[in-house]
Amino acid sequence: MSRKISLPDFISSFNEAQKEIVESVDVFEDTRASIKAKKDKIIEAAEVIRDDYGFVIPIGGGAIDYPEENRMEMNYYLNNPDSDFIIIYRIPVDREKPVLPSMTQVWEAMSFHERETHEMFGIDFEGHPNLVPLLLPPDWKGGYPLRKDFKGEGVE
Amino acid sequence: MAEPEITPELMRISWGPQHPMSGQTRILLDTDGEKVHRIIADLGFTHRGIEKVLENRSLIGGIVPIDRMAMVDTANISIGYVTAAEKALGLEVPERANWIRSLVCEMSRINSHLYAFGLQAEATGYFPAVFLWTTIDREILLDLFEELTGARWSFNFFLPGGVYKDFPEGFADRVVEGVNYLRNRFKDYWNAMIENPMFEMRCDNVAILEPKDALRLGATGPVLRGSGIPVDMRNEEPYAAYADLDWEIITEDACDVMARTKVRFHEIGQSLNMMEQIAKEIPEGEIKTRFSPFARAPEGEHISRVENGRGEMSTHLWTNGTPNPYRVKILPPSLRNMYVFERLAELSHITVADIPVVINSIDPWYLDADR
Repeated sequence: MSRKISLPDFISSFNEAQKEIVESVDVFEDTRASIKAKKDKIIEAAEVIRDDYGFVIPIGGGAIDYPEENRMEMNYYLNNPDSDFIIIYRIPVDREKPVLPSMTQVWEAMSFHERETHEMFGIDFEGHPNLVPLLLPPDWKGGYPLRKDFKGEGVE
Repeated sequence: MAEPEITPELMRISWGPQHPMSGQTRILLDTDGEKVHRIIADLGFTHRGIEKVLENRSLIGGIVPIDRMAMVDTANISIGYVTAAEKALGLEVPERANWIRSLVCEMSRINSHLYAFGLQAEATGYFPAVFLWTTIDREILLDLFEELTGARWSFNFFLPGGVYKDFPEGFADRVVEGVNYLRNRFKDYWNAMIENPMFEMRCDNVAILEPKDALRLGATGPVLRGSGIPVDMRNEEPYAAYADLDWEIITEDACDVMARTKVRFHEIGQSLNMMEQIAKEIPEGEIKTRFSPFARAPEGEHISRVENGRGEMSTHLWTNGTPNPYRVKILPPSLRNMYVFERLAELSHITVADIPVVINSIDPWYLDADR
């Protein structure tokens, strides 16, 4: 099978072409590129990644909590059938006011992953078609289980 | 899950979690007569919070709970976590250990596919005997697992930096014996199932998933390859010994239930070839790199991607210099495929009677979707 896109080519072309929408592109482990978009260009950058660079396969999404730094981070994992690397599209989240635009308008299949992140981290995804709990019971009132300050003891 | 609203001309059927074919989930079907208009999956009946559990275990202690994600396919689940932990700890795996890993992973894949194949036979309603055949044939694999690892299920056999034990004496010969026996059985399966007009009637042209939809909806594993798209983690990011083994990605172009069943069927045959190759050509050498079970991984993040029986499983591991991982994000294949299943009713004509056949062609394992 022929591989069309390699990571160094992608990084150089992406950095050049997308200066207006991209804040930073980092590489780790040689086959992962993590992309941060500018704050007001989140959806635009996602559409560029999907349409111009062919990252059409949504692998999934998930968040991570940093309570000491008072922030969270939402990661979307994306694959292109013709590339030998994956993209992690990172969006910083304010821990006090965790609201993000929903990526389901770009990658429809992020729906389940955003529903899960919503119940586990308390992040609200604006524009999600059906933001109801996915895994937790409907009457769950124990807080956000995957946040670091959740201890998992004595939940009713 | 709170039930979404329904239009008055449709009828809602709740399928599962007690239905014999449903597994540990509930599926709501909005129907008009026979036709299914909308599928709503209600997951979470087996949610155990494995991601949170892993945060409270040491890196090596996480191997035990992660095995519980999919009991029928434990080796392929745990290799994902173990590979990520290895990257975090900076361990090299000896070549022989890599080959043993591939052997156990392929045996696990056959085990998983046989289970799926048996359920598919059962779901069509005509072949309950085939499910019993596959159950008996899985014994061959379970006996081999027991001999090599000491357990028939959930064997916690992989360690960061290698595997737990080497082959017992004469094990390679018994692998070849098992492979020969199973090859003969597959001729029976092919004649009894794939070429059977009754089975074709239930599976041909049912639940068609076009390639562009399969990509857009995030399908993975045999569901994606059944739509003709050659994506397989063993090729995309070769782990264990897959770069040295002779194999190729199997795809089918028909995009229907039969195509997915055939992909699994051919993958079983290919896994048998790989088992034979490993038993005959495995290199000599060490089977593990020594490391401290209390090792602290330096700060960083690592992603491993492996091919389970059901598709791609990615594990994103953050470490921060303590013995425990800071966070583990698991992206399981069944969650992705369940979303495809939810959308299938809009993409193709599905009747209520097709639902067991269609869901078993997706082959979700709810314990790994729920984690």
